[in-house]
Amino acid sequence: MAQYVYGIIDAHGEPPAGTGIAGAPLRVLAGDGAAALVSDMPADDLRFGRQEMLTHARVLEAALEHGTVLPMRFGVVMDREEVSQRLLHEHGEALAAQLHELAGKVELSVRVLYEEEPLMRELVAGDPEIAELRRRTQGHSADATYYERIRLGELVAGALERRRASDAQKLLDELSPVSLAVEVAEPSHERVVLGASFLVERESVAEFDELLERLAAARAGRMRFKCVGPLPPHSFVDLAATV
Amino acid sequence: MATMGMTRGPGSGYVQRSGSAGLYEILDLLLDKGLVVDVFLRVSLVGIELLTVDARIVIASVDTYLRFAEAVNRLDLGSTQDSEGLPQLVDDVTSGGAQSKSRGVLEGAKEAIFGSDDEDEGEDEGGENGGSSSSRSRSRSRSGSRSSSGSRSSRGRSGS
Repeated sequence: MAQYVYGIIDAHGEPPAGTGIAGAPLRVLAGDGAAALVSDMPADDLRFGRQEMLTHARVLEAALEHGTVLPMRFGVVMDREEVSQRLLHEHGEALAAQLHELAGKVELSVRVLYEEEPLMRELVAGDPEIAELRRRTQGHSADATYYERIRLGELVAGALERRRASDAQKLLDELSPVSLAVEVAEPSHERVVLGASFLVERESVAEFDELLERLAAARAGRMRFKCVGPLPPHSFVDLAATV
Repeated sequence: MATMGMTRGPGSGYVQRSGSAGLYEILDLLLDKGLVVDVFLRVSLVGIELLTVDARIVIASVDTYLRFAEAVNRLDLGSTQDSEGLPQLVDDVTSGGAQSKSRGVLEGAKEAIFGSDDEDEGEDEGGENGGSSSSRSRSRSRSGSRSSSGSRSSRGRSGS
């Protein structure tokens, strides 16, 4: 029977309370060094959307309260035999090693965004050429100043890129003492200062939080900080066969 | 103890916090991180497969330059009150270019996944593109021939 696979837990782990996708009971398929947290897929066709994603996240969150969990990517379905053979048996050593390595560690996902207007003000104030081009194009028709506007935007983009690199590095430098590892995502849009996942000892979460709070306070009005977690270590699990 | 709790309150300070209920914020993690094995079947994800469209905003583009120029031109440096924020700007600059089309696709997908109650998030993220998921989503095209039909029988097998 097809199984929805949420994650990998300790070989002697118990399923957390609550139900899984489509209300199916959560079960544990145990292997030698690790176990899979699964639930039966319903027999009828199931379309996966927001609700199922929330369930996936909630189950992992509940499992994290019990102990270490290596999260699967959302949407993994395998036959029961495949879970036992191809996942737990073939990758048993790697999974056991990662369970050991990631024990007591959680992921905190941090996103820092620029506030648009203060950012633009700083960029104008920081570069005389930008300020001058701004003065020359402001109030004139977009057509008449087309090339100057492109030049202006190009300068702004360059200045933003340099500022972002510097601001992001400062944040990473500040946060690295309280984290064990970090995964930085490429900025997904212009206002992103930093999008990063930090691997943190569970007992250091409060310390990380306080530090982040101080960094955010010092940048209030210029940047907005968001932090999600503690989460299972999504960004820090790996299998040789990970595609 | 605060460090053990899996969800944290809104917090007293400057950092906006959430547990995994902040689904929008961890969409990338759920879709693109975590373990997979070569034999896995990935279910059809309603709307979510659209996120594989590479809609990452191209910063080095004329469209973006013009938008930046617009943004600095809108600043009223003589006063502290500037009513024109980015959302307004984005509304104004909807050209017929590929970026706009991608944006539409992504917003459609986001809506499919998150419903309309996440409108704030869209605004938080600037609304000028697909939000947080696009950069990581590019690599997902590798993860196989997921079908968009929604039928389990047509699930793609990933890998070879």
